[in-house]
Amino acid sequence: MPDDKKKKGAGRPPPPPATSGHADDENDRPTVNPPFDVEAYARQASKPTASGRPGAPPPPAVPTFEPEETRSKQITLTNEVELEKAREMSAVRSEPPPPRHATPSALSMADARAPSSPNHPAVMPGPRSPTPASIEAAVLGAIGSSPAPEITERTIEDPVAEMRERFSLGDYTGALEMAELILAEEPGNLEAAECGENCRTVLENMFAARLGPLDRVPMVVVPRTQMRWLSIDHRAGFVLSLIDGSSSVEMILDVCGMPRLDALRILHELVQQKIVAFR
Amino acid sequence: MEKVIGIDLGTTNSCVAIVENGVPTVIPNRGGYKTTPSMVAVTEAGKRLVGHIAKRQAITNAENTVYAAKRLIGRKWNSPQVKNAVATSSYRIVQGPHADVRIVLRDKEYSVSEISAMVLQEMKLIAEDYLGESVSKAVVTVPAYFNDNQRQATKDAGEIAGLDVIRIINEPTAAALSYGYGKNAEKTIAVYDFGGGTFDISILEIGSSGVFKVVATAGDTFLGGEDVDARIIDWLVHGFKEEHGIDLRQDRMALQRLKDAAEKAKCELSSVRETEVNLPFIISSGRNEALHLQRSIDRKTLEELSSDLIERTVDICRQTLEDAHLEKGDIEEVLLVGGMTRMPKIQQAVHDFFEKEPSKGVHPDESVALGASIQGAALIDDKQEMVLLDVTPHALGIMTQGGYFEELIPQNTTVPTHRTKIFTTSRDNQTAVKIVVMQGESERAEENELLGEFILTGLRRAAKGTVEIEVTFEINADGIVSVHAKDLETGKEQSIEVTASSGLTREEIKNMMEGAKDYMVERRSTEEFEAAKQEAERIVGEIERLFPQVEQIVAASDFGRDAIEKARAIVSKARTAIGKRDVAAVKAEIEGLSRTHRMFKGVVAKTH
Repeated sequence: MPDDKKKKGAGRPPPPPATSGHADDENDRPTVNPPFDVEAYARQASKPTASGRPGAPPPPAVPTFEPEETRSKQITLTNEVELEKAREMSAVRSEPPPPRHATPSALSMADARAPSSPNHPAVMPGPRSPTPASIEAAVLGAIGSSPAPEITERTIEDPVAEMRERFSLGDYTGALEMAELILAEEPGNLEAAECGENCRTVLENMFAARLGPLDRVPMVVVPRTQMRWLSIDHRAGFVLSLIDGSSSVEMILDVCGMPRLDALRILHELVQQKIVAFR
Repeated sequence: MEKVIGIDLGTTNSCVAIVENGVPTVIPNRGGYKTTPSMVAVTEAGKRLVGHIAKRQAITNAENTVYAAKRLIGRKWNSPQVKNAVATSSYRIVQGPHADVRIVLRDKEYSVSEISAMVLQEMKLIAEDYLGESVSKAVVTVPAYFNDNQRQATKDAGEIAGLDVIRIINEPTAAALSYGYGKNAEKTIAVYDFGGGTFDISILEIGSSGVFKVVATAGDTFLGGEDVDARIIDWLVHGFKEEHGIDLRQDRMALQRLKDAAEKAKCELSSVRETEVNLPFIISSGRNEALHLQRSIDRKTLEELSSDLIERTVDICRQTLEDAHLEKGDIEEVLLVGGMTRMPKIQQAVHDFFEKEPSKGVHPDESVALGASIQGAALIDDKQEMVLLDVTPHALGIMTQGGYFEELIPQNTTVPTHRTKIFTTSRDNQTAVKIVVMQGESERAEENELLGEFILTGLRRAAKGTVEIEVTFEINADGIVSVHAKDLETGKEQSIEVTASSGLTREEIKNMMEGAKDYMVERRSTEEFEAAKQEAERIVGEIERLFPQVEQIVAASDFGRDAIEKARAIVSKARTAIGKRDVAAVKAEIEGLSRTHRMFKGVVAKTH
């Protein structure tokens, strides 16, 4: 069996050392499940980076991971659906999170999601990308009522590599943020444009799938008198104003005048918050 | 018998009606509304929106939403109205290849007739959905002041939309027709038409012989209910700025909501004394929270805000009566047309000016379309007597020395007709004269519409005023105007045939018709697919709901397992067909799905 494994591994970059997790008793793996997406890693590793070098392996998992029972309740960082959920929870927070400093709990999760390449170590503190909600904030928001752990901010030195990495990890929102950041500084960057477009398509499909058939008619289920106590922003307020009980989701997307992805995301958030329901 | 619809192609709203069993009826659209906004938009994805849906995104997608295209139809690029529209419109207006007007939507140029055709096509669809059959003939209304080019452009719009416009009639005439239908009234009436985008006042003489004579007409093409909405918006924006220091005009989404709320409040204040404008989460405070707009507005405030606008309409009425040499007492009835006339203050202003109670006999939004449908029904029914005769909407004549206009055929002359007049040379030894054919009512030629010109040469050299030239205007039954000029001494003759032009060539109209047909095919096909998809998805949902129960009941037998597999395959095939947007395949799968559903229901029913 060990010989077989050796053959299978021939020609591939060495897997990153596994430092934590629990033993996996299936197949021929004598060690633990790596705390990252192996397929994504393989894709990344086989793809040359901008500098022509193969993609850097994900960093070793931080040894402070919770035991498996706890971890299963935490946010899987390559799971876009849960990240979005976390983002929603984060978005309803009226106050921005306090300044962050490195701590071993939530920070390790946040960093595990979007690791910096070892060749481009994170620098802190530094300005963050001008995006509506950071993944870190989303994760912190998802943690809920416990006091927000302090984590540090960092500067991304190679946004293209970061974008690729986020995309390969399935963090399409993060990848889109990076793509937009790159395009803001370098509008002609074809890779960023293409990646951004792909992310948008994936995210649009994801939110559309979660909303169900777009010919359904949404309805506001919160009484008008209670509406002003909702925790939504003015964009969501605008989308809410378009829900008249006779227009379908598709019609609302047509008339809202905002990017389709934004509108789908807002509608999904309104449904999640039980402000809007379908007939 | 083929049905003819009557269409009121309005500046802000359009309406379609038909005579059914002798009763003129307005046809509601799919949303149940009897009027449809005359708005056309193209979304970022290239989708065409017409009507209410276009109106709902008119501010957030302002550059690609056309409203009030009627102000531009049939006009020349250099006309003052076009210049005004260019300066005030949110969409881009450019010069067309024939000195006409084009509108740019998402980098594509459209003629104004093409845009109006989209609205007419929507009205045609509304009628077809209601009647359950195809409609191809229509009577379309236009303002009384429209010249031949504008009327022709409206006809072209109908043609592009797949409609044979069998008659164009004046809006006040249609309203009067709706009022006078079955009454056999002979009187002088005023039609006060205050719509969403324009104001018109017309004085008509209703005759027993079927002639509705427009004695005088005037108006303001940039004065309407939208100006009242704008005043309410200003009031709300000002109040919000005072309270929060934020200008709501800076945010398009906020402005769109304000526009909708202002129009709603205006309408409500016609029936109640006070209403509330409540727009939660209208804008971000910039401190991670949204602000709400909540304000009450009463009728008195609205009246104060719009008093000068109402006064302007009264001034136009006063001027129109003066121009027509009429006294207020000559007006026997005043008809109120247009949504704005629901406003009590306007009804009061009309009452105060004309010194009589305005008639409540016509519906402000529907009377024009109803009148058009009455005329349409009369035109195809041989037994019914003709209710309206074709008349020239404007006077026809030529330009004379000093830039004056010499009228040959007066306004409202029934066609066919011909008139002749003798003119002389204006200079010594003049050997040629230029005949400039014009249309309009102004004494100043420059204020009238140029229809065409030609030169008659070879005149005898003589002192001015001695050479006589006979000019003849002739209008045939098809409305084509011919002008002949003849030197009475030499018999030399020149002529010109004047046909109204919308600014589009036949080739262009043909291409646009093809485009409109393609759009209709695509739209019908999309609708067909959506209907089939909904039906298929409904049955799939039912089957899936029954799957667990059926599996439990039949899975023990091979036959049962086979049936379950087949059912799964049918559902999967249906889903694939939906995914491929293959309407024929989806329709084909519906039968299999229905069979499976019946079978599942039967299995479940047997075990209970």
